[in-house]
Amino acid sequence: MHHFSATELHRQFIDGTLSAADIVRHTLARIDAHNGTLGSFLTIFHERALKQAEALDEKKRRGERLGRLAGVPIAFKDNMNIKGEITTCGSKFLTNFKAPFSATVTELLEHEDAILIGKTNLDEFAMGSSTENSALQKTRNPWNLKCSPGGSSGGSASAVAARLCPLALGSDTGGSIRQPASLCGVVGYKPTYGRVSRYGLVAFGSSLDQIGPFATAVEDVALMMEIMGRHCEKDSTSIQKGPDAIVKELNTPIGGMKIGVPWQFLEGLEPQYQQSFQESLKVYQDLGAECVEVDLSMLKYSIAIYYILATAEASTNLSRFDGIRYGVRSPKATTLEEVYDLSRQEGFGDEVKRRIMLGTFVLSSGYQEAYYRKAQKVRTLLLQKYAEAFSKCDLIATPVSPFAAFEIGSIKDPLQMYLADIYTIGANLAGTPAISVPSGFTKDGLPIGLHLTGPQLADSTVCRGAYAFQKVTSFHKQSPKAFS
Amino acid sequence: MVQIHKETVRYLARLCRIACTEEQENALLHDMKEVLSYIDLLNEVPTDGVTPCNNVSMSCMQTPLRADTVKQTLSAKDFFENVPQHTARLVRIPPVRGQGG
Repeated sequence: MHHFSATELHRQFIDGTLSAADIVRHTLARIDAHNGTLGSFLTIFHERALKQAEALDEKKRRGERLGRLAGVPIAFKDNMNIKGEITTCGSKFLTNFKAPFSATVTELLEHEDAILIGKTNLDEFAMGSSTENSALQKTRNPWNLKCSPGGSSGGSASAVAARLCPLALGSDTGGSIRQPASLCGVVGYKPTYGRVSRYGLVAFGSSLDQIGPFATAVEDVALMMEIMGRHCEKDSTSIQKGPDAIVKELNTPIGGMKIGVPWQFLEGLEPQYQQSFQESLKVYQDLGAECVEVDLSMLKYSIAIYYILATAEASTNLSRFDGIRYGVRSPKATTLEEVYDLSRQEGFGDEVKRRIMLGTFVLSSGYQEAYYRKAQKVRTLLLQKYAEAFSKCDLIATPVSPFAAFEIGSIKDPLQMYLADIYTIGANLAGTPAISVPSGFTKDGLPIGLHLTGPQLADSTVCRGAYAFQKVTSFHKQSPKAFS
Repeated sequence: MVQIHKETVRYLARLCRIACTEEQENALLHDMKEVLSYIDLLNEVPTDGVTPCNNVSMSCMQTPLRADTVKQTLSAKDFFENVPQHTARLVRIPPVRGQGG
């Protein structure tokens, strides 16, 4: 049953083929069997999930309303709150932090009877592209255990790829859902900025962060977006708009759709990735879509813009971790100043410190104009270029990542790691919806992903474009043999 | 290109409230120099007269503020559960001005 998509699993629960208790017992047994190897989960909700499953089976027996995710186990990246459970953010700072309230997405998913199965590993505070920055454990890629699953939502991606659960949530600030989805051969989705409430998500870069789903199939992503994509009054950036009908639009043919390709920006892509990308474009052409060239050469500045704005926002957001109100307070502190200085020194890892320092620098007196304000201005120009591109096409296609999964420990230079996000960061800077869909394999058998992005609020078009590709390809059906 | 030195790192560490060892300062200086040199790429983009992007969201066109009404959002019990050191209803901190204060 672990090869079923969420949609299929839900159907089997509704028609009585499987009980929620059967599904949960099977899911927990697989997680228990493989988590020691993969390190995907930080917390596994054994009791909670079984209790929820039994309650759901009882609800079904009584003929009560069943939600659209009834019977479907889902994992949460461990930077989102589930009331009463620990939210670590992959940091030593928060190993004891018990969430005093639930995130809006938690409530929406519980309302649809999804079964919360556990919390997954991440780069500390979602800062990284390999999950190696987690202070708590290593996570491995199920396609090759020597490799990273990508990051920062690496735990969620590896869990879904190994079929430990059909759905997982991630958060995406510069590619943290799409890049690990690509490296693990699953579907990963970043919604339009403001489409999914961030209430209860621990903030990193507030002008960029979005919560989104991982799944094995695009139809599950569409379903998740119908459930989570709605206005929330607790998040002031939440778009005031009701949910979109995405699922029923999936089958609308894409003939005549225009796919923009920023060829100039893709120069330098390695031949095997170039070939895979061109084969993906051919799939679209065969489906009746037209490929047109668009100019997004401005994207060469995206990483520089991002590492100014994201670090500036992070330095502000992470100032709340002071050892006073929550988190681990340094036992060595004897004065108030030492509480701050030592708790933060001991609690934060190297990458988090690096970003807080850089963010503080670009916001500091004398440098704000040259760095922070400059980056905001170039972001405006980039948005204009996206608007021009979308006047010529419906979706823009690129690879997700310049390379497939890499060996753990092989990228030591922080800047080289930042460059891994070159194809995904643009969608965060422009606030556009974007998806990573499995689109091939390297000669070493590692997954490759295709990236599609559309204008803001075109979430339905992005899902439809990805679904059309999925329907005529079989990459998403392949899973790592060691975990089949 | 802006030059940064160890003193800059020390100053930033104070602003950030992160104590650093000498070894950590050296590593931070090295990494920050590298990233700042990369970021200088932005200087080749002319931006005179360009409005800085403060909010990318389509929701900024609307009124994002909710009604200003008082609601019980977090109980004292739930709040104190996460406070590292506290008395019954007060957060406990060490002396503000040190032991000799």
